[in-house]
Amino acid sequence: MKHTFTSHSREDTRKLGKIIASLFVPSDVVLLRGDLGAGKTTLVGGVAEALKVNEDVISPTFNIMKCYFKGTLPMYHIDAYRLEGQNIELGLEEFIEGDGVTFIEWPQYIEPLWPDEYLTITLLHAGEDTREISVESNSPRLDKIVEAVKEAF
Amino acid sequence: MVTLLMDTSNTNLSIGLAKDHKVIDSICYEAWQKQSEFLVLELDAILKRNGLTRKDIEMVVSAKGPGSYTGVRIALTVAKVVAFALNVPLYLVSSLEALKDENAPSICLMNARSKRSYIGVYDKESVIMEDKIMDNVEVLKYISEHPDYKICGLVSYLGLEAAEPKNLDILAISDIERNFVSDPVAAKPVYLKDLY
Repeated sequence: MKHTFTSHSREDTRKLGKIIASLFVPSDVVLLRGDLGAGKTTLVGGVAEALKVNEDVISPTFNIMKCYFKGTLPMYHIDAYRLEGQNIELGLEEFIEGDGVTFIEWPQYIEPLWPDEYLTITLLHAGEDTREISVESNSPRLDKIVEAVKEAF
Repeated sequence: MVTLLMDTSNTNLSIGLAKDHKVIDSICYEAWQKQSEFLVLELDAILKRNGLTRKDIEMVVSAKGPGSYTGVRIALTVAKVVAFALNVPLYLVSSLEALKDENAPSICLMNARSKRSYIGVYDKESVIMEDKIMDNVEVLKYISEHPDYKICGLVSYLGLEAAEPKNLDILAISDIERNFVSDPVAAKPVYLKDLY
């Protein structure tokens, strides 16, 4: 199931994060696609706020992964950009298949680590602060998250 | 004089002291993502509460992997440093062998994620099957073909049950020749998965 809508501001993108946050269970994975500045980190920031993480979310491009343990559900934020062509084991699957929700930016570089079921969120520039956002699920359980997004946007 | 035992290769932190191949004191608890914060503090605590100092450590035995990517490195690193600094013998033991039942042929298992397991098969001191990675489908087949072998490890991910591992008891009797490390500084963790 897939739903596409327009975000008119950073606040809209954050709101998307807040809506989906409450629906995650341990081991859920979200693949984040989109250009630099499209709002991937903004979206994760919205999720963090709803999970009461109480920490600013910054892009983990340098660190590769940031862990947020303090919220109502552990949240892991991976940026695989620097792993392109590396194919090295770093133990990321312990988090991806672990006790929290994991967001993966540049997921194409660690495709062997994807679980069978995942949500894909794509953010595209559509001029100024406007973004075209699509939320796609490949499993019946995650369809419920797409339905919730459909209702809100 | 005591032997220092350590294992952080899964989600637990296990540290113990042994004398004459018997564990005399131990600290074990779940410490996922916290092992590196607590291990050295617990080492200090367990020595103190037994009225010992580091000079009383005459040997170090640690698990070396496979297991958690970060976990296997923590006990191993502390073990290397302690053995090097005190100039005492170091023994490194397979984290799978540490799960075995010392009295029965044992299929030792750990979740390797991505529908795979780390598996090693041991019968007392002998290695029946070297540690390796295997698809869970094959693992279940191997288990069904060896009904007389005991299943050991944290196997709920396979829908199986096993007795609580006695990893420190096994480490306490693992100072055997094949586990001896002649050059502690060069010792490396065993991860089995290097590339995907």
